[in-house]
Amino acid sequence: MYVAARVDEEKCNGCKLCILTCPDPNVISIDKAKNIGINQARCKGCGLCVVACPKEALTVS
Amino acid sequence: MSLRILKPTAEFADLLPKEYQELVENGPYHEQKGISDLGTFKEIIEEHPHCAGCGVALGVRLVAASLPAPADTLIIGTPGCSFFGLAQTALNYSNTAFGNQNAVASGLKRMLKIRYPDRNKDVVVLVGDGGIADIGLDMTLHSWLRRENITTIMVDNEVYGNTGGQESGMTKEGQVLNMAPEGKKFPKIPVFELARTSGCAYGARVTVASPRKIGEAVKKAILVAREVGPTYVQIYTPCPTNLKFPPDQTVKVAKDAEAGYYSFEEFISPEAQEYMQKTTKAV
Repeated sequence: MYVAARVDEEKCNGCKLCILTCPDPNVISIDKAKNIGINQARCKGCGLCVVACPKEALTVS
Repeated sequence: MSLRILKPTAEFADLLPKEYQELVENGPYHEQKGISDLGTFKEIIEEHPHCAGCGVALGVRLVAASLPAPADTLIIGTPGCSFFGLAQTALNYSNTAFGNQNAVASGLKRMLKIRYPDRNKDVVVLVGDGGIADIGLDMTLHSWLRRENITTIMVDNEVYGNTGGQESGMTKEGQVLNMAPEGKKFPKIPVFELARTSGCAYGARVTVASPRKIGEAVKKAILVAREVGPTYVQIYTPCPTNLKFPPDQTVKVAKDAEAGYYSFEEFISPEAQEYMQKTTKAV
């Protein structure tokens, strides 16, 4: 089954904790307006970002 | 890899893979990038075959992002989990026979000093606990005792991960593994203390739960190794596959270890301290 992280943009405040806990390079990116983007083709779905997120804005499904 | 080599001629730029084009446009070679800029630039490591939630991959990624001069850095690796990630980097990279990494790094550093007398070429050894604490312990200790100007970084996952989970010298006492069903019978090898007594000018012990500390420690270690002497950074990178915990708990396991037996520790020699004060003043 294909599993990847998804972000709820309403809850996200752009704290970047998910970027610092992701083991895979170039998966989570942030732009100047603090919008988080996830490259779902590369995400392995480990869930480290979900645990790290203080706003519970991320899910793995 | 200097920018001059990295940049393709304009006629052929379209033919190159997309990853390469992104690296040329948005890589970390152009200006000083650090851990806090992660996510805003294209990282030098490409896709790697590590397991989901791998601590080693996270450690390697954070170290690669905190190199002070990636274009002038040469990474030395050795077989093990760490080298799966490193083989995909856009850095000068050399692989060695298992355990020989510090001997090879010493030679390369001396050669680079002769070839580029007026430039700082950082030689960084980035290997796992098997390469440093078990099979390459003699080479590592001797490179420190000879005061070679190299940085040694250990990504310590406390197990031989890619061969199925044998115990290593850095495994915790009592840890049960796939190929150590009765638990390990002797304590961790104190490599951090050995580094202090065998002449390292700077040493730090961190975990992947505190990325900013990794960034500072790696940067300091490489700067001190340029002028003063050997340096050592030990990063705890837990392995969910062999230590048998869910892959989303890697950072929590590292955080618990940081509160217990893997506390943050740092030492710096007086000469290195003086050198760091001088360089930070100059900047």
